Amino acid sequence: MTPRTSSSQIALRALVLLGPVVAVLATGPAGNWPPWWIAGAVVGTAAAAAWAPDSPYGTAAGLVVLGWWAIALEDSLPASILVAALALVVAHVAALLASYGPPTMPLDSATLVLWVRRGALVALTVPAAWVLALLLRGEPEQPGIWLLGAATAFAATVAATAALAVRTGEG
Amino acid sequence: MSSWRATAALGRAVVLGAVAVALALVVGKPVLMVLAAPFVTFTALGLAHRPHRLPRLDSRLDHGVLHEGQGTTSRLVVGDGDEAEYVTRAAGRPAYVAIRPHDGQVGGLLAGGVPAVEISPRRWGRRVLGEENVALYSPWAGFRFGPVRLGGRPVRVLPTTAPYDSRAEAPQPIGLVGAHRSQRSGSGTELSGIRPFQPGDRLRRVNWPVSLRTRTLHVVTTRAEEDTGVLLVVDALADHGGSGGVGAAASSLDLSVRAAAAIAEHHVRAGDRVALRVVGRGQEQVGYGAGARHLRRIQDQLATLRTGDPGEPETGVLQLGVTGGAIVVVLSPMLAESMGTVAATLTRRGVAVLVVDTLPPDARPATLGDEQDPALAALAWRMRRIERSVVLERLAALGCPVVPWRGPGTVDEVMRRLARRAQLPRVVAR
Repeated sequence: MTPRTSSSQIALRALVLLGPVVAVLATGPAGNWPPWWIAGAVVGTAAAAAWAPDSPYGTAAGLVVLGWWAIALEDSLPASILVAALALVVAHVAALLASYGPPTMPLDSATLVLWVRRGALVALTVPAAWVLALLLRGEPEQPGIWLLGAATAFAATVAATAALAVRTGEG
Repeated sequence: MSSWRATAALGRAVVLGAVAVALALVVGKPVLMVLAAPFVTFTALGLAHRPHRLPRLDSRLDHGVLHEGQGTTSRLVVGDGDEAEYVTRAAGRPAYVAIRPHDGQVGGLLAGGVPAVEISPRRWGRRVLGEENVALYSPWAGFRFGPVRLGGRPVRVLPTTAPYDSRAEAPQPIGLVGAHRSQRSGSGTELSGIRPFQPGDRLRRVNWPVSLRTRTLHVVTTRAEEDTGVLLVVDALADHGGSGGVGAAASSLDLSVRAAAAIAEHHVRAGDRVALRVVGRGQEQVGYGAGARHLRRIQDQLATLRTGDPGEPETGVLQLGVTGGAIVVVLSPMLAESMGTVAATLTRRGVAVLVVDTLPPDARPATLGDEQDPALAALAWRMRRIERSVVLERLAALGCPVVPWRGPGTVDEVMRRLARRAQLPRVVAR
């Protein structure tokens, strides 16, 4: 009997496929829809990543999304970037969970809950970076300001997740 | 040797985070920093939880001996696994082995305990159980240990003890003690007759009503109760029909092995001596014996029998080592000429022979390849079955009963007939 792909794996792989697609289409509401070949490239690489979550195809899909966001808009910070970043985070976590085992292996609820909490925690860096960028947009650019911002976001997240990790281990 | 290696997820986070930050700085697009922020965080957390110690993996089975249909649990032992967060177990899929849950593909957080895998062999024989690939993941899935291949453990799967019972007496019991009624008088419980008292008779055997009436002492005589010898002959020359394991379709060898195990268990429990002779490539045999350990030896041999031609001399009849008074139970699909010959020879010699027909009704010839003509194969199979029916009719004409295996009570009627016939005088060929 051929083992069947579990329903949880199907759901995870659907998120791996949809995440980059949503992220690349998120420039549309800001006034610049991606051309068909960009969207096609994202769909293709995301589909390959959904088929093989442990492969570099997910990285390729993310790079295409980054490249499009780099050229699609001028110096603007639309709210749709939040949607794009969150979609990429969801796709990344889904691919990570899907690559924990073979396609026939279902995901247990404890692991899912843990990673939903982790994903939500990491996703907090997205609005934080967006607000920071909005605040600094009119200011004269300081050398290394972006690296400083990223380091600050990282330090805050590490501190928060350290506490989460202790609670999980105790539980 | 396996070691901790970066996962694809960590690589993805590193590349996306680094490229986004670099692009943001180069082209001056703050929007890219928003995209980079979560991946920089994922990278940092993955790297921060990099493990330093190599874990040790070992798997164990709860049971070393199983009957087909029974189950055991494969447990994974993780040593020095404090730095690991998640474990994945991907069990192999050997034939005739059922694995739960999810066909042995399980994973879980180590904090909640290593997930166990339940294994159940579905057919007798030698099976390797517990073979699997195991991988460990560090917190935040930055690093993976493995997958490490853990070898399975060879387990001898004994044939299932099918429900079987028989109330028929043995045809020719000649042992010392047992449960079968003997043809000679002895210290049993079943009445044989009443005869005049002789010196040496026990006083408690005196029958006082008869003695008073006849005015001479008379004693009651009883039949001795003896054990018998049962020789089980299993035809392992070939396996006909498909096998789906216990509870599903059974091949001829499945029926033979399970029937032999059931008959052996019944007779051993009745105190009889049981022997086994496998006619097959392995030529496994177990001498006469009784008791639970002897039954286990028979089951072990049945579990490890190999099909194929034993290479007996073409001119000679199979030498089964039949002793006087033993019952020979031949378990065979009766498609090999040698089995019919040996059953007929033993019957002519006066041995009580019973043939249990184990050919499944829906047995089909095995396909030999694409070049084989299906119509020709079907015709050959039909001719073979006709020849087989002729052999069975000739055996019946010789006085050798042939019964299909039906489980409990299969051999009762024929054993009773054999027992009645054994009490009649007859001329046998020597």
